[in-house]
Order: sequence, then structure tokens, then C-alpha cells
Amino acid sequence: MPAVVNLPPLSAYLVVSAILFTIGVLGVIIRRNPLIVFMSIELMLNAVNLSFLAFSRFLDSADGQMFVFVVLTVAAAEVVVGLAIIVTIFRTRRNIDVDEMNMLRG
Amino acid sequence: MTPDIANMLAFGVLALASIASAIGVIAFKNAVHSALSLILTLFFVAMFYLQLGAMFIAVVQILIYAGAIMVLFLFVVTMLSPDTQEMEKNRLSWQRYAGILLGIVLVGALSYLIYSQVSSGSIMQTQHESLQQVVQKQGDIQAFGLALFHGFAFPFEVTSLLIVVAIIGALVFGRRSS
Repeated sequence: MPAVVNLPPLSAYLVVSAILFTIGVLGVIIRRNPLIVFMSIELMLNAVNLSFLAFSRFLDSADGQMFVFVVLTVAAAEVVVGLAIIVTIFRTRRNIDVDEMNMLRG
Repeated sequence: MTPDIANMLAFGVLALASIASAIGVIAFKNAVHSALSLILTLFFVAMFYLQLGAMFIAVVQILIYAGAIMVLFLFVVTMLSPDTQEMEKNRLSWQRYAGILLGIVLVGALSYLIYSQVSSGSIMQTQHESLQQVVQKQGDIQAFGLALFHGFAFPFEVTSLLIVVAIIGALVFGRRSS
């Protein structure tokens, strides 16, 4: 593997990325507010982006940046649709607890 | 090979700050505080991107995430805020501890995988032109654009289709049934 001067080792970035991803997973598991669950999903996407960019830098290839670009777009689309779903659920049920959402129809 | 002291220091500070603000996202009771903490995390991660030499991605991260997406989040959070106070009551009490335990197991497994794979040297150099050489020759944004429109033109076009579908989906959900 090529050595990149002046930067901390690749595994350091990957471990930070793993910790951020785990915090995101914990948020999805623990919290009951769907908005915070969504924020945790964004956190996981960012953790993966960080590892993509670390690989891109350390393998000296632009492919990782392309993946991050696509992931950013997918995240934006996902947030738009997801928040629209949450607002719709709130409109029909006046309550947004993920434990209460067990029906596909309103 | 050896990292210089400024980069190590910046990495340590950024790592601590991003992890602390990420914990804030899932620990705050109030959803607005969580959203603000997430904005902070996104800024710190953008600083990581800068350190890794991805300037365009860092700027896009701040513009799209901290700018557009988080404004949307805060808008929805304030719209739905009256009910958020009385939530989180009837959760299973053991669930939080089981979740934290599973989180520790997950981060341990991921770290083990990372260290075993990276130190065994099984990560291969890709066959493309060296990114650093292109950046040196033509600049950061030019290198990004060249890579995007030469190797990744089709995913780029599919992305536009995805955005159209998302817009139509949001419109359908937002429409009041008449």
C-alpha cells in the first residue's frame, strides 16, 4: 500500500468512521423519535463517506470521491422522501412514535 | 511515512469533536438540539474531508448537508415539535442497555476487521492514473470533473433520474387529498 506522507495512518480514519457509524446504529436502535432515527441514518452515511474519502486518498484514486458524490445525492433524495412520509404520518395520526407505526395504511 | 505533528493534532481534535457531537445527536432529548449537534458533526466531518484533500466534496458537504438538508430537518422538527416532548416514555427499559452493548460489540468487530485487513496489506492499489498527479497538474476541481465525466458519466445521469423521482415522490406525499 502506498504511504501517504504527513497524514495519520489509514486505519485511524477507518476507526473514526467505524465509531461514527456505530453511533448512528445506536441512534436507530435506541431512539423512538423518527426524526432522530433519520439523523442517525445521515450520521451513518457520513461515516461511510469518510471511509470512502480516506481510501480515495490513501489509494491515490478519484473513485472514492465519485462514490461520495453519489451517496450525497442519494442522501438528499432520501431525506426529502423520508421527511415527506413523516409529515404525512403526523398529519393522519397526530403522533410520530416509531413503535406506534405498525400499519401501512392510514 | 511518519505523520507530522500538526496533522496528528488536527486529526485528534477532529476525531474527538466529531465523536462527541455525534453522541450528542443520539443523546439529546430535544430534537432541535439533536439537529444542531448533527450540523456540528457534519462540519467536523467536512474538516476531515479537507484534511484528506477532497476540497470539492467538503464544500458540497457544507452546502448540501449543513445548508439544505439540515434546514429541511429543522423545519420539520419545529413543525412536529409539540408532540416530541411527551414521547420516549413507554420504551422497553432494557433496550437501551442492550443497544449500547451491541454497539460496543459492533465497534470492536469493525476495528478488528480494519486492523487485520489494513495491516495484512490486502488493500490493493487501483489501476487508474494517480489522483495526486492529476491534482498537481490540473487542480482539484479539474481532477474531480475529469474523473466524474470520464469514468462515472452514467451514474451521474442516473443520479438526475433519482432526483426527479424524489421530487415527484415528495409532491405526491405533500399533496392534500381532494
